[in-house]
Formats: sequence, C-alpha cells, structure tokens
Amino acid sequence: MLQSLITHSTTQKISLLESNFWITLLTSSPSFKMPQRSPEFSGSVKLKYVKLGYQYLVNHFLTFLLVPVIAGILLELIRLGPDEIATLWKSLQFDFIQILCSSYLIIFISTLYFVSRPRPVYLVDYACYKPPVTCRVPFSCFMEHSRLILSTEPKSVEFQMRILERSGLGEETCLPPAIHYIPPAPSMEAARKEAEMVIFSAVDTLFKKTGLEAKDVDILIVNCSLFSPTPSLTAMVINKYKMRGDIKSFNLSGMGCSAGMISINLARDLLQSYPNSIAVVVSTEIITPNYYQGKERSMLLPNCLFRMGGAAIFLSNRRSDSIRAKYRLLHVVRTHKGADDKAYRCVFEEEDPEGKSGISLSKDLMAIAGEALKSNITTIGPLVLPASEQLLFLISLMGRKFFNPKWKPYIPDFKQAFDHFCIHAGGRAVIDELQKNLQLSAEHVEASRMTLHRFGNTSSSSLWYELSYIEAKGRMRKGNRVWQIAFGSGFKCNSAVWKCIKSIEIPTDGPWSDCIDRYPVDIPEVVKL
Amino acid sequence: MAEVSWICKRTVVSTKPVEAGKFCPLSVLDRIMEHNHVRVVLYYRCPKERKAGESIRMLRESLAELLSAYPIVTGRLLKTAEGHWMIKCNDAGVRMVEARAKGSVDKWLQNFDREKELNLVHWEPMFHKLYFWSTFYVQLTEFEEGGLAIGLSCGHLLSDPICVTIFIKAWADMTLNGKMVTPPLFHRLPRRRQCNETTNPQPFPELINYYKSTLEKPVPVVQAKQTTIKIAFGDEMVRSCIAMSHAPGSPDEPSPTPFQALAGLFWVGISKIKGLKNGLITMSICLDMRKVLGLDKGFFGNCMVYNQVPGDGIEEYELSKAANAIREVVDTMDAEGIMNLIEWMEGKADQFSCLMNGYDLICVNLEHVDSYSAIFEDNFKPIHASYYIEPTVGEGMILVLPSPLAKGSFSRVVMITLPEDEAINLLEDKLIQQFSPTILMMADKKHTTANSDP
Repeated sequence: MLQSLITHSTTQKISLLESNFWITLLTSSPSFKMPQRSPEFSGSVKLKYVKLGYQYLVNHFLTFLLVPVIAGILLELIRLGPDEIATLWKSLQFDFIQILCSSYLIIFISTLYFVSRPRPVYLVDYACYKPPVTCRVPFSCFMEHSRLILSTEPKSVEFQMRILERSGLGEETCLPPAIHYIPPAPSMEAARKEAEMVIFSAVDTLFKKTGLEAKDVDILIVNCSLFSPTPSLTAMVINKYKMRGDIKSFNLSGMGCSAGMISINLARDLLQSYPNSIAVVVSTEIITPNYYQGKERSMLLPNCLFRMGGAAIFLSNRRSDSIRAKYRLLHVVRTHKGADDKAYRCVFEEEDPEGKSGISLSKDLMAIAGEALKSNITTIGPLVLPASEQLLFLISLMGRKFFNPKWKPYIPDFKQAFDHFCIHAGGRAVIDELQKNLQLSAEHVEASRMTLHRFGNTSSSSLWYELSYIEAKGRMRKGNRVWQIAFGSGFKCNSAVWKCIKSIEIPTDGPWSDCIDRYPVDIPEVVKL
Repeated sequence: MAEVSWICKRTVVSTKPVEAGKFCPLSVLDRIMEHNHVRVVLYYRCPKERKAGESIRMLRESLAELLSAYPIVTGRLLKTAEGHWMIKCNDAGVRMVEARAKGSVDKWLQNFDREKELNLVHWEPMFHKLYFWSTFYVQLTEFEEGGLAIGLSCGHLLSDPICVTIFIKAWADMTLNGKMVTPPLFHRLPRRRQCNETTNPQPFPELINYYKSTLEKPVPVVQAKQTTIKIAFGDEMVRSCIAMSHAPGSPDEPSPTPFQALAGLFWVGISKIKGLKNGLITMSICLDMRKVLGLDKGFFGNCMVYNQVPGDGIEEYELSKAANAIREVVDTMDAEGIMNLIEWMEGKADQFSCLMNGYDLICVNLEHVDSYSAIFEDNFKPIHASYYIEPTVGEGMILVLPSPLAKGSFSRVVMITLPEDEAINLLEDKLIQQFSPTILMMADKKHTTANSDP
C-alpha cells in the first residue's frame, strides 16, 4: 500500500511536467510515425537482458531500497539482544492519555483514508448480442442490392464495391431485417423493432448468465448514437423488464462510437455516489434509420461498414460481487478534440444535395484520429506505464532538451503496461494505424481484426465483442490488464483500463461459441468480388 | 381492386457462407432450356390460431437453412470461356416476395384463373446484367381468412419441374423436421460407357433429328393470347379412358399408362378443335429420364427429354391408335438413345438459342411428381398444386399431374394451355365430356392485359 502511494505521488509530480513534453515529442513527427531503430542496436541479445534487468531494477526500486534497511534493523536488534530491547522498551515512558490520543489519531487517519478511497467498480459479467443467421449479408448480396437500388449511379456502386473489398469484413456480418428489403424500408417502427431485438436479447442473456433480477438494478445507462426516440430506449428497457420506480436511468445519444466508454465512465461516477448499487450499461447502435440511400461517396462508407450488434454490461460496487466479478475498472481516460473545427466536422451527420441524410466522413479522419489518440496516450501513459518506461522516457527527453537534440525520441512500450488490447473495430485502416503507432504485434490486434471480420463495425459494442474473443480463446488470465480504446464523432478518443480479477474459463455460450475454432482467419488485403 | 397485394421483396441467403471460388457447370439438357422458366404454386390450409406473418417468417427461416445445401440456387449465371452458361456460387441468395391475398384459400380455389394464379408466383425475366439476376424466386402469399400459397419460379436453365418439386419437398422436410430426407446431388449427366467401335454409333436417329430440327428453328413470336384450364379426372374415369385407349384385338400389348391414355385423349381432342382433317396435329411428348438413366432421386438439374410423336394417318376418335403411337415413342426413349443425344448435343459447339417447346403441341408427363408430399406442417398437406412451363407460344401445352388423392390411384389432374377460344371449345368437346371430368380452373373470360412482370 505504501509503495503504491509513493508511486502514485511520484507519477503525479512528473505527469504535469511530462504531459507538455509528451505533446511536443509526439507531435514532432508529422504523422506520428515511429522512428526506425537501427538494426544492430535492437538486434543484440545481450542488450535485451540488460533492458530486462534495468526494468526489474527500476520497477521494484523501493523493494530494493527497503530490503537493506530492514536487514540493517534486524541485525541491530539481534546485536542488541532481548534484555537490552526490554530495557529500551521500559525506558520509554508511556502516558495513558498519550497512548489514547495517538491511537485515536491513527484510527482517525486510517478511517479518513479508507473513506476517501474511491469505491472499486467491478465488472461482474457482460453479454454480447448474437444476430440471427437469417440476417446475414454476404458481399454478393450487398452488392446486388446496391446495384438494384442505385441502378442509375454505377460509379457509386463501384465505389461501394471497392470499399467492401478492402474493408476487412467477412461474409457473416448482419444487417437488420428492414435493410434486407428491396428497396430498404427504414421506418421508425422497424427501428424500434431492431432496438427491441438487439437490446432485449442482450439484456436477457445478461440476466440469465448472472442471475441478476430486473428489480435489483439501481442504475441503467443505454447508449445508442443515431436512434433516439421518445420515450427513450432506457424507458423501453424499464418498461419491458418492469424495473423499479427509483431507478436512475440515463440515455446517451449522439455521442458516436466511443459512447460505450462514456457510459462506463458515467456508471463509475454514479457508483461512487451510490453505495451498494448495481449498474447495467447497454451499448448498441441501431442501423435501420441510418441506411444512406443517396449517392454521395463520403456518406456511402458507413453503409459498407456498420453492422448490427449490441452488448449489455453488469457493473457493481458491492463487496459481495467482488468475489464473482471478472474485471475491476482501473482507469477511464476521456479526451475530446471538439475544440478544433476540423475535428468537429470530421464525422458529421448531414443532408446531401438531394435531401437524403447520412453520415459524412471527411478525408482527414485518420489524421484527426491520430491526434486524438496522442492526447489520450499522453494522459494515460503516466497512469499505467511502469516506472522503468517513464524514467527512460524522461531521460530521453532531458537528453534531447539539454544535451543533443539529435537523440532519437523514445516511444514508451505500452505492451509492458497491458496484456490485451481492444481497439475499436472502426475499420481496417484504424486498426492498421494503431498497430503501427503502438508497435503492437499481430496477436495483440487479432481480437480487433477478427471482430471486424465476423461482426463488422458494431460501433460502441465492438469492444465487448473483442473482449469476448480474447476470453473465448482462453487467453485471459487473472491479473491481466486490458486496454479498451474507442474513437468517435466529436472527435473523441476514450479509453478504459480493466484488470482481470478472476480466472476465466472458456465460455460455452457467447457470440463466438460456434465459430471460435475457425478463427483467427487470414484476411486478404483485397477480396475479389 | 387488387386481390393480391405485395408486402415486400427481399433476398433470402443461406445460413452458412459458401466457400469462395465454387462453380457449377450446366449440362446440355440444362442449357437447351435457356428461354423457358418454370412456375409452381402450392396451396395449403393453415391452423386457425396462426397470426399474420408467422407462417411466412417460419418458412423464410427454414428456406435460409435449406439454401446452405443448395449453393447452385443462390449462385448467379456467368459465361464460361467457351461461351456456355454456368453458375458461379457466389452466395447471393434468392429473391422472396411476401404478399397478402383477400379471402380464404378455399374461396380462392373456387374462382381463380391463370392470370390470378400467376399473381401468386413472382417472376422477373432475365435482364441485361445477368450477374445480378436471381435465378429463383419465391413468393409467399398469406390469405387473410386463412391459408397460404407458396409460389416458386425459376429459370428452366437450372431445373425442370420435377427438380423444383424435389426442392420444395426438401424445404418442407427442413421446416417439419429440420433435416432433408433426400439431400441434393450435383453431378454431370451419365456418360456412355466406352463400347466397341463396331456398334452403330447412332441407333436411334429420330430423337437426334427432332432436336436438330428444333434447334435450327428461330425463336417464335407470341401470337394469340393463351389461357390455361385445369381438369381433374377421377380414378374411374381414367380407367375407362385406358380401357378405351387399349387397342381392341391386341390383348397381349400392355395397357396404356394413365399418361398415355390421357395424352392420347387430348391429342385427339385438340386436333379436332384446331380443325385438322387429315391426321392429328404434331405433338411432342416430354418425359422424365431420371429412372431411365438410373439417376439418384436427389439429382439436381434438367433431365426431361422431348420427342416427337407422328400423328399422320390417325383419324379422330381413334383413341387407341393415338395412345399406341405415344407408347411406341416412349418405348424408344431408353438410356442408350438419351446418352447418344447428350453426346451429340455436347458435340455441337454453338450455343442453343432456340425455344424448346415453342412450336408443336407439347405434352409433359409430370404424373409422378411428388408435390403432395411437400408437407410443411403436421397434418397440412397441399390441397392443390399448379405447374406452368412458360412461355407457351406453340400450339399448346398439356401437363399431366398427379391428383391430391391417394397414391396408386389412377386419378390425374391435367393443365392445358391453349389460345383462349380453343380452350373454351375443348371443354365442350363431346369426347372429353364423356368422362365427366371436374373443372378446377376455368379459362379467363375477360380480355385484360397480360400479367405485368416488374
């Protein structure tokens, strides 16, 4: 406990100093490219062991300091002998009042400490929606429908085909029934039906898995960016499950694909205010009302990538749930680039010249996503990186500042802070960029790529499908740390860090149960249609 | 006031993805039927408590399950390097139309005609960009007061009416039990075994000549408006027809089959209506060759062969001679002859741009087609089945179908497509009347425009 206190204060001190330097460093290269390391430097095996030794030394610095001190005290005690210790003890004059005051002070300080500590937030379990196989959309079917609907716009159809070929999606992604019609019939009733199908299915599965009862839910948060009816989707859930009258419900709409992390953040904050409470978070995206039926290319992209999906998450701050909970929430970091005009307009819902509404994606999307990621990393780095990495980074910074500006900047190794990465499956380009910038191996981004292949871009719930993949593959161990990163309109980059607190057996149900043996698949660069 | 109103059109895909790069070639018997299409309608009653849309949803889900075993049905047409048609199994799905009809299915069956019936089975003619044209169309029509009509249409390029019925039966098995009794088989037509050089390479030239002459004819133009009537013959009536068709004075000859007897009867009748004096009109019969070629029941594709029956020298009322002529032609169509034909057709490098059944009076033998065992729900057999082979532009078409009554009975249902006035005259013909058949579907009386295909 002492060690973590000291580490925390150290990181607090250097974080302020660091953040400015981090921004300067990371923005120095125009597109956040990783500078190439010279081969002989990183190829050396001896150096690897030096690095490992250095990391071990710095990360366990305090242990190394304390060990000689304790050894010294023990030696001294042994040298003194028991009689001498007894005399030493009697020479101390203890007054009854003094003892009482001291113990009262100690008790007071410890109570203050325990009370002011943030309540731990546990993720007991979560459930992902598995769309019915009859909603499957193979590439050929999607292209045919596109051709039949946009029969007068062959160029737009060609564009959609090229996007689909390179998208990284598979043949098993699903669209809601209303979009299967020729022409699509996106009515409000169809949208409500899809919402009911997805949300109720996910919540039913969650309740069944965890034995949770609807009347026990204290906080309900639903996030769905593009469909926001009145009464809200939260009211729809409360009505269906007959939840209590004093439930605290929140419906988040318009917040894009990163709304899932925003909901988790909101749940965490609420669980600090309300002791012994249960929160259920439902993340989904309702595709039906937003199928773009025009011909603007910048607006056709979401049609090709967005697919049906949803997830329901059970969070709790009750001590009794800590035994069966799978994860504990460590950090949530939110960064918003909305102050910049370009970032604000890069994912924008608007009407095209023909009056058809859709979501237009600007060409600077990747660059802005890179910027948002930098900000997020800047904030999260000091919270999660081990002291060895932070020290190295500081040394490299100092060196560049004061000694030789030509020194290569040091990009910290996030693989030491996290065991698993869940990158929002926004598209192949997003995953490729992040893999390159954070220097992740193929296995680290496997969950994201395979989720994109099997389920498509399910917006805010994709992170939960990815986590489910890692569990289904049996890779999640107790003590592992997971980093979930999501990007969304605004432009926002939100991330959450979870720690696995229970050994997780491979689930027999879940969205991956029937197909996990086929994964990972090799996804070709371009699928020939 | 439209009796049948569309709800929606969508595409149904299989539940399992098809592996990429799969192609299914089409045989010569398939390719020769390029300009034809098949339409089948089956009528069912439904349980009273069934909610609107529930039957359709159930059938759609079981169809999706079934299509996983039929990648050829969800594929699309493509031309090979040689310029022949083949199917690329690209997992594109089949089109499904959902519709609603007024009244109940029983009421509909009391008063329907060809035009109304064709509204129950959706079809889209081949359009320019064939790669996006679905080869199969399914229409599910729910009757507001109870009942269901399942309409299936497909290009004749892929399957003949018997194959379509096997597909529907497999769909019914999938809906009822979750698995197929006869899984489909996709393979080439059998080849002739290598035999001695000395045997005559073409022992039955008539068949090949018939095909040769048909292939050389140009595609005919639609002339008079055709209509279809449907007549049911009870067991007794068919037996008496067979008795009449049996040549007197030749008791050793086998009795004509119900098909031969009925085909002979209508051949004589229609020739009379058309006013032919010397001999009967040229007729071609179309027979299923699956048993003859020894194919398995699950064979998917075309396996029906046409042959001409010469009608010269047969006077009207000479039923036995007509039936005999038909029987003789049927007997010549054996495995050897068919395989010769297939070999000859494969030798022809050019494409088949004719219309196979566009000239003569065609009589198709569908009497053993298994439509009444396509049971989707316990205790709900089809109450009625209609078949159409379109387009009908020749002298006329006769389809001999089984009847809904017990198997083994000789009762049959005959669907006849003729120009309007001829059809009406046929019903009043004395020869037909003497068997007192039941008229199931009348000719269209009104002169309205043809069905509008979207």
